[in-house]
Amino acid sequence: MWASGALSDEDRLDREETSRVLRRSIEFATPYKRFIYAAIGFVTITTVCTVAGPLLVKYATDEGLGGGVGAGSVSALNTAVVAYVVVVVINYLAGRQQYLAINNAGEGFLRDLRVRVFDRLQAQSMAFYDRNKAGVLVSRMTADIESMGELIQWGLLQFVSAGLLLVFTLITLAVLSWELTLVVMVVLPIIVAASVRFQRQSNKAYLDVREKVGQNLSSLQEGIAGVRVIQAYDRQDEQIRRFHGTNRALYRSHLHSVRVSVWYFGLVEWVGVFAIAVVIGVGGWLSHNGSIEVGTVAAFVLLLANLFEPVQQLSQLYNTVQSAAASLHKLYGLIDAEPDVGEHPHPVTLPARGALEAHDLTFRYDGAERNALTRVSIRVAPGERLALVGPTGAGKSTLAKLLSRLYDPSDGRVTFGDVDLRVASMASLRERIVVVPQEGFLFGGTIRDNIRIARSSATDDEVAAALDRIGALERFEEFPDGLDTEVRERGSRLSAGERQLISLARAALVDPAVLVLDEATSNLDPGTEVVVERALETLMTGRTVIVVAHRLSTVRRADRIAVVDHAKLVELGTHDELVERGGRYAALAEAWARSQPTAG
Amino acid sequence: MDPVRPTSGWPLLRRVLWEQRRGLIAGMLIGLAWSASKVAVPRLTRLAVDRGVIGRESLWFWSGLIAAMAVIAGVFSGWRRWVAFRESRLTETRLREQLFGHVMRLHVGYHDHTQTGQLMSRASSDMLQIQGFVVMIPLTASNLAMVVAVVIVLFTSQPLLALIALAPLPVVNLLAQRFSRTIHPAVLAVQAEQAQLATVVEESVSGVRVVKGFGAEQVQAAKLRVEADDIRRESLKSARVRSTFLPALDLLPNLGMIAVLGIGGHRVLNGEMTYGEMFEFFLYVVLLVAPLRSLGMTVAFGQRAAAALLRVNEVFTTVPEVDDPPKPRPLPTEPPVGGVRFRHVTFGYDPSAPVLRGFDLTIEPGRSVALVGATGSGKSTVARLLTRFYDVQDGKVQIDGVDVRDLRLTDLRRAVGIVFEDTFLFNDTVVGNIAFARPDAPIEEVHRAATLAGAHDFVTQLPQGYDTVIGERGFSLSGGQRQRIAIARAILADPRVLVLDDATSAVDPSKEHEIRDAMATVMRGRTTIVIAHRPGTIALADTVVLVDDGRVAATGTHDELLATSERYREVLAALREEDVDDTDDAVPVADPASGAASDEEVRG
Repeated sequence: MWASGALSDEDRLDREETSRVLRRSIEFATPYKRFIYAAIGFVTITTVCTVAGPLLVKYATDEGLGGGVGAGSVSALNTAVVAYVVVVVINYLAGRQQYLAINNAGEGFLRDLRVRVFDRLQAQSMAFYDRNKAGVLVSRMTADIESMGELIQWGLLQFVSAGLLLVFTLITLAVLSWELTLVVMVVLPIIVAASVRFQRQSNKAYLDVREKVGQNLSSLQEGIAGVRVIQAYDRQDEQIRRFHGTNRALYRSHLHSVRVSVWYFGLVEWVGVFAIAVVIGVGGWLSHNGSIEVGTVAAFVLLLANLFEPVQQLSQLYNTVQSAAASLHKLYGLIDAEPDVGEHPHPVTLPARGALEAHDLTFRYDGAERNALTRVSIRVAPGERLALVGPTGAGKSTLAKLLSRLYDPSDGRVTFGDVDLRVASMASLRERIVVVPQEGFLFGGTIRDNIRIARSSATDDEVAAALDRIGALERFEEFPDGLDTEVRERGSRLSAGERQLISLARAALVDPAVLVLDEATSNLDPGTEVVVERALETLMTGRTVIVVAHRLSTVRRADRIAVVDHAKLVELGTHDELVERGGRYAALAEAWARSQPTAG
Repeated sequence: MDPVRPTSGWPLLRRVLWEQRRGLIAGMLIGLAWSASKVAVPRLTRLAVDRGVIGRESLWFWSGLIAAMAVIAGVFSGWRRWVAFRESRLTETRLREQLFGHVMRLHVGYHDHTQTGQLMSRASSDMLQIQGFVVMIPLTASNLAMVVAVVIVLFTSQPLLALIALAPLPVVNLLAQRFSRTIHPAVLAVQAEQAQLATVVEESVSGVRVVKGFGAEQVQAAKLRVEADDIRRESLKSARVRSTFLPALDLLPNLGMIAVLGIGGHRVLNGEMTYGEMFEFFLYVVLLVAPLRSLGMTVAFGQRAAAALLRVNEVFTTVPEVDDPPKPRPLPTEPPVGGVRFRHVTFGYDPSAPVLRGFDLTIEPGRSVALVGATGSGKSTVARLLTRFYDVQDGKVQIDGVDVRDLRLTDLRRAVGIVFEDTFLFNDTVVGNIAFARPDAPIEEVHRAATLAGAHDFVTQLPQGYDTVIGERGFSLSGGQRQRIAIARAILADPRVLVLDDATSAVDPSKEHEIRDAMATVMRGRTTIVIAHRPGTIALADTVVLVDDGRVAATGTHDELLATSERYREVLAALREEDVDDTDDAVPVADPASGAASDEEVRG
């Protein structure tokens, strides 16, 4: 018996949602309909075979053995045996095929689901990633889809075959003897009612266990991760006492979940044997009357198992199917979410050079009460270096994001060479304007792969040339595996400076007209600091640069400085001009000068 | 202290099972009663068919007997399940508590080399494997009894037919075993592919700025397609394993049924056997399928549990290297207290590569010293030796004239308070976190400690003030706020010696002064060791000690050293640059703190 998924009340779908999930699923399954038809065919065959066995026993009993009293026909008996052999072989062969067919359909379905959800996630704008927590998005793509994998491997087949078996068996029983079937049906409601009740109780118990497991794990984690503090303050006993608290709560929760199942499994056992007693008693009486044959009684006893097992299976699967539906509902929701920063229907290629201009930009984050930017206009000439400064949250990073179209403005527009960024083709946009994030983010793979992220068509020589241009080629070629070094591998962890260099090499590979930099707030290790500075300087030469600055030294090197405060552009000019003016920048520059470390 | 580790975990299991022998034996006896009632049913059915249905005797007597067996089977089946699960969960629960208790007492050196995640899986997934095996013990006993009983019953009535009908059944057991063993690696392979896909998704989501910034959506999409196809391929492989075994498992009992029908049928025709006897055979064959399958599973479960036990046992047999001395000495109590002395201390995480070489340092009671040194110079190691997180290899560390190894650990750790570089807060209220060392401290003292640490003001502004739950799952505080809570924790502990291990490094330089004020207050009149690299923090101490190459290289005030020591200026300049990249002193492992952090990420 495999662990069934539990479902909390808020995850339960209503009728309309359920039918929508069903419609979309059928749509997604269409490419695999051959496998699905095959699976249904094979499941039907195995189910018929399962019901046929007891029927052959009945035939052998009544025709071959003369109702069990010994005066029968050898040929009828032999026929039954041969037929049984055939049925068993067919059952085996169809059984193998049904697994393969259903898994081919299911795994294909999941594969497409993964690809389509991911493609849609990739198409979403930055605003989407602000709205949705990273952890939730990742778990949709992983845990949610994986749990459906389990359903496909075990559940789906069981669900279909249990349902079919129940129906086929009932029909067979009714055809054999409707009187006896009626009597047996007295027992069936007991097991159905018990199964429904058990399903509810065990669902609740399982949710409770899951919660307690989570609490116990975090208590465990806290103890292990905090062991240095715990030992330093000699609080081991206290911590052990606390852990016992959550651990015993988990134990009690486990016991409760067993208690819930104990009566049910006892009842199922009782019903199984009790039904035999009923069939023998009532069936025997009917056969004394002559209304049924002995073989029918035998067939009933053997078929009973086919009646009770499916009910149990269906009730256990009920939750799993429901929670899969809930997962699918969320996944289809992701697929149906239209990206809000998309390609224009008639995209224009951006000119090679031009001024980057903000016209009356206003922007408000989703759900925010205030504007992040209000009516900001600024023109950055080709080749100019502009530093954006201002307090945290004032809007300078937002301005940088709008200028590179990571977001679209709520009002106003951004143009490059007089072309609105929203009508520019995405490809040309990312070629002209490149954002270098402050943390050098690395993907799994080699150093080369990581640089090539910027332009997947780049040759090895072009990657090397990009590194060479920023003066970092030698540094990476000295690694034991050179540019083929795996960045995530243990021991070859790159320093913060080296990660920055890779980030800059990406930009060099694209060779953009505009560079948007978010300056790191933190310092680098001394060895790389100089190298990174030099690389950055080389990269900035001859390009329009917009830098979100945190350091005085960076600001001093800019042609002009834009001070953003309270969502507005409040000052704009050269360092000397602004200091002279004695406004906000002058105050900021002075505070900066004071807080810089003095030693060294 | 036995350095020889047993190579198997079975003695451990034996000990645990012995403790639960009553429950387990009760479970087996209850299981036997269940088996007896189940084995009785086919025999009663045979009698009912022969005498009642065919022989036209009283039907109600026989069906009444079967109904009685139904009640017994029902009651004992539920009861057997209850006892089996109760006992196995008890094993799991106790073993986990013992493991946790042991881990809490293991020396810090062990924890520095062991990732949090590894110990977590010892206490969670390995415990589940063991539980899964223990639950099978009473169940398997009754299943075995049932199998044996049925075999005896059948052989005594029709030996030849029994032999032929039962012949395919041992194969069920074998196949179930092989299935469990084959499907396990296939399932692991699927999980490995799923983990790879998760990596692609995670990096695409957390690196979304890079992906968007360079328009690299297609590159990531291509990676994902590869992983999604891999998952499908591996899943289909495991489906193939299922398709090989599961239908075969269904097939085998049917072969027994055919044998009974063919051979038994002819015997019935020849009058050598009654119809009821033949029917009894059918029912017994059906009855045996479930226990035989489950016996096969038990073997596979046992193998997995053995591997889990071995891993768990490895933790249990690790002896805490830092422990109470056999004859502990007390600390002198008459003031002044808090004198610290390092005498010719030599120590290396790897003994062949010492970090400290003949390190000498004396701190008079009530004085404060700032340790300054380059990364890897050993300055943080000094703190680790003082609290006996590690023991020296040569020389000695003394507090008020007593070697730290002669003190009870409790006394030592009451005497020394540490504020760590990476502040660890517990999932507890602010009060709980500050009063960590003294949970029974009056609330006024907690408030006073918080005030001294400069935490009172922001704490009172939290949603529930001092009762706000903080920590990983609670209200999130800034680095500076966390650090001040940690300082308050140290103040309330009221140690003789306070160690501030890089307590300001996690704090934004512009906010550092807030912590610095708190530190200055705390240090007044208390022996304090400050490990620092920012000039403002260093200047708080009475004396600055430059640690270089495992020794004290220079001593003096900050200004004196700036003026006289070239090396001091160099070190300070280097420290300033690497501010953020600073990691632990040469502990030769992949940074345990970052291991813990990544666990948090996974859970978050």
